[in-house]
Amino acid sequence: MWADLARVLRLWGPRRRSLVAALFVAMGSALSGVALMALAGQGVAAGITAGGVFGLAAIVWVRPMVLLRPAFRWWERMASHAAAFRALADTRVWFFGRLAQRMPGGIGLRGSGDLLGRIIGDVDALDRLYLGGILPACAGFAVLVAIAALLAGEPWLMLLVVLPLLLALSLPLLLAPAAARAAHVAAERRGLLRAAAVDPLAGLEDTLAANAEGRVLARLQSADASLMQGQRALARRSAVAGATGGLLTQLAILAALGWGLTHGSAAAGMVVLSLFLAVAAAEALGLMPRAGAALAAAGAGARRLFEAADTAPPVAEPAAPAPLPKGNELVLQGVTFGWRADALVLEGLDLTLREGERVAILGPSGAGKSSLAALLQKLVAPSAGTIRLGGADIGGLAAAQLRTRIICLSQQARLFDDTIAANLRIAAPDAPDAALWRALVKAGIADHIRSLPEGLATLCGEGGARFSGGEARRIALARALLPPSAILILDEPTAGLDAEAEQAFLATLATACEGRSLLLITHRLTGTEPLDRVLRLAGGRLLQATA
Amino acid sequence: MRQARGQAGRVALPIVLGLGVALCQIALAFLIARLLVTLLGFQGGGWNELALAGGLMLLSAGLGLAQEMAQQSAGETARARIRAELFARLLELGPADPRGVGEKASLLVDRVEALDGFFARWIPAMALAVLAPAMVAIAVWQADWVSALVLVCMGLLVPVAMALTGIGAALEARKQLDVLGRLSGRFVDRLRGLSTLVQFNRTEDEARALGVAAEEFRWRTLRVLRVAFLSSATLELLSAFTLGYLAWRHGALMTTRDAADPTMALFCILMIPGFFAPLRAFSAAYHEAMSARGAAAEIAPLLEAPPAEGLLLEEVPHRVALVFNEAELHYPGMPRPALSRLTFALAPGETLMLVGPSGAGKSSVLRLLMGFERPTAGRIAINGQDVTRLKPAELRRLSSYVGQRAHLFGGTLYENIALARPGATKAEVIRAAESARVMSFAARLPKGLDTLVGEGGFGLSGGQAQRVALARAFLRDAPLVLLDEPTASLDPGTEAEVMAAIAKLCMGRTAVIATHSAALMGLPGRVIELGETKLASAHVG
Repeated sequence: MWADLARVLRLWGPRRRSLVAALFVAMGSALSGVALMALAGQGVAAGITAGGVFGLAAIVWVRPMVLLRPAFRWWERMASHAAAFRALADTRVWFFGRLAQRMPGGIGLRGSGDLLGRIIGDVDALDRLYLGGILPACAGFAVLVAIAALLAGEPWLMLLVVLPLLLALSLPLLLAPAAARAAHVAAERRGLLRAAAVDPLAGLEDTLAANAEGRVLARLQSADASLMQGQRALARRSAVAGATGGLLTQLAILAALGWGLTHGSAAAGMVVLSLFLAVAAAEALGLMPRAGAALAAAGAGARRLFEAADTAPPVAEPAAPAPLPKGNELVLQGVTFGWRADALVLEGLDLTLREGERVAILGPSGAGKSSLAALLQKLVAPSAGTIRLGGADIGGLAAAQLRTRIICLSQQARLFDDTIAANLRIAAPDAPDAALWRALVKAGIADHIRSLPEGLATLCGEGGARFSGGEARRIALARALLPPSAILILDEPTAGLDAEAEQAFLATLATACEGRSLLLITHRLTGTEPLDRVLRLAGGRLLQATA
Repeated sequence: MRQARGQAGRVALPIVLGLGVALCQIALAFLIARLLVTLLGFQGGGWNELALAGGLMLLSAGLGLAQEMAQQSAGETARARIRAELFARLLELGPADPRGVGEKASLLVDRVEALDGFFARWIPAMALAVLAPAMVAIAVWQADWVSALVLVCMGLLVPVAMALTGIGAALEARKQLDVLGRLSGRFVDRLRGLSTLVQFNRTEDEARALGVAAEEFRWRTLRVLRVAFLSSATLELLSAFTLGYLAWRHGALMTTRDAADPTMALFCILMIPGFFAPLRAFSAAYHEAMSARGAAAEIAPLLEAPPAEGLLLEEVPHRVALVFNEAELHYPGMPRPALSRLTFALAPGETLMLVGPSGAGKSSVLRLLMGFERPTAGRIAINGQDVTRLKPAELRRLSSYVGQRAHLFGGTLYENIALARPGATKAEVIRAAESARVMSFAARLPKGLDTLVGEGGFGLSGGQAQRVALARAFLRDAPLVLLDEPTASLDPGTEAEVMAAIAKLCMGRTAVIATHSAALMGLPGRVIELGETKLASAHVG
């Protein structure tokens, strides 16, 4: 855990200055709280013992502190949040770049669908490392040092007050590893609950067909109960830590009073001072033991983040990439591939896609059609067999260059929360508006966009939510048509469209592709597609389709 | 937040315990004041008081601990109930609900978890923010009514100050904080579309743009936070002002009016942190309540919708006669009905094959018979009874259904088959597995029928999964068999094998089979072609 957190701190290195500056502000803020309480205590004590220049001065000084304290507190929070946001933004950018290298096919291309959700949550949890761990610890430490300095005149009193507070400050370090284990158990059980919810919902028709509603509900409830048991253990830890923190600060108060009782009224001034100091410290230090939980959460988050960021890239880039070949004929020979070693999806697949040819590949979901698209994009590598473009093995080509030649409109193709123009220019950053319109015309969506009041500047919404499924697919198609690639792969381009939209979409393909090779991957044909050949993928191989 | 009702008992316990903690703090402040006074040379307490204070500290810590655990348990009970209700509701809605699996799972898991703050912390914090300061004020009143008045005024100023710094603005700020503050909007959007960016070689540009956007978001967020933090700074200011004023007042009182017992003066000052602590907790719980409210807004419409109604089935009949009379299925917002005006009658034991292009309504017929959808017009009758009078779950008891894409649940092959009839004996399950030709591949698996399949288990091919689903249908032994493109995911070799199994399954049962080609099925029975020229009825075999 500590190693992962240290790595996070190293990532934050460039923001060292603002992070450290905010720490100093936090210390000043905590000290102003101590000063306010100490001055108020002194003033009262002086009043009670009737006079003393120090007492009157204390009362006078309380007034500016009344204003200084909230101002300091506000400044602390602004400075610390500003610094933390900067550091977190850096982490996001770093992480984004790493994932782009290591998971080019997208997060959760294969495997658990909640990986993305977890990653987002984990990055957000990292701010607790700074705001919930380092920052309060530094403030608490400053308070402790100030108390020790103020009470230095009476070493025994100082020790009696400072020792319990020091223990409260260091408790998170002692509690964090155990809290991390408890947090791990709770996180694992949350995963089990998710599985208990997802499995019956993913197979909803089969669940209902078996009249299994009661049984899956019982399973969900038992997973829920076990998650709550784990959360209760975690909550108990946090509550005990909180209670211990409170007790320790109160112990400092008791110790000061006890010391006073043994020393008589001569020492009253020091006791009052230390008492008020301890009360002030309670605010800064009383919550520290709970920081252990924050540290544990940040540590667990960091571990998962680095695990994802450190996965090996699926396809190694060639050390000396060969130049792109002239020809565009695509030849697959004996290609074998499986997402897992024990379950092959493609077994000895052969396919030739001649230049300008339009071929459809049919097959039910799970037959390996999307694997084929991923292979051609170099998102994964075949375990056996070769893929050649214009005679050159694509393993020896740079992936970025290959992707300028072969463009795939995948099922995951996403419209970003930006304007239509910006979404299109992802494919060709320098394209003029005229080129955007040409692509939109080919995709059969230009008229619709012209009718929008803001035209190309219309915002698409997250995931293209502003548009219907068919419109969004057409904009994505226009984006894929924008660059002059030689080969176009359309992977289930009509998934999620109703039958009418599907037919209209496929009918535009002839104008859309004009001259490019087309590989249309779909689970069924409507008969309106302009195709040269239809192949059927079954048993990991391609067969001539019968219908 | 209707779910909060009926939780009164659960929520009362943490509030009572919290008040106990406040009482302890009051007594403790009094004892400490007495001890201090003793040190200053007045008549007061001694070691006994110190011991008593120590005891009170332990008691207060214990009560605090109990309060937290009680809050946890209140949150647990509420979440468990809502989660179970929500899941039952989602199952009831069935495939008609347009939400994706991911969205449903996030509702069930994450959104329900987000409600925790509301039940566990917000409700108690809200009550304690009124009750505990009131208790403190009453105690202080006994000592010095002016101090009490100052406390009460300051306490009342807290909501006023919050309103002045703009509780509305703060509210808006919190919302914005959720969206922008996490800086994640754009980040998440781009992360979701990572493969698209990789496709167009734009990841580096996008990372740079993310950095720029993050900087902009940072400014906007900080502008919002400036106001949000101001309201908490006001709380700080009020508490500091109270402390300063009371210290000044009691300090001055003591110097002018000598020899009065100063215990009460010290008590008043020592009570200040205790007075403001519940108000601080309230403002901390506020954010959680806001995010819980967002979650509740998504969940509430689902829970509040009326549950499905209908009759229960006394017993499953042995033979089923089926009549469609002008039955139509029209999804709202669609230009054309998914199934338009279909009429046919099927005698017990007869097999019907529905053919036609995709989108002609073949699956719709099956979905209607499974109760996933209700006909928008016309009538469907089973053995003369209108199916819409039955509860959908009861209607499903009549049929064995094999969909286009068989789902394998996490578990063993055996469990996956036994799912169809929980009471089945081992021999019956094995017989069903043999009939559906599951045994022919199960025998080669590492642990036979006990091999783990589904999520995280052994990967089966689409055709193998289809045969498991058929085994379920054999085991279920229902009078009505509904098959949706049962051989679509099979290679020609397995197709023939599975067809033989299907023929066996349909024997003696009423069957409706959706298929792209009746000839391929090679089954005897009636054929209805759906599509433009609807109702071309013919016989094959």
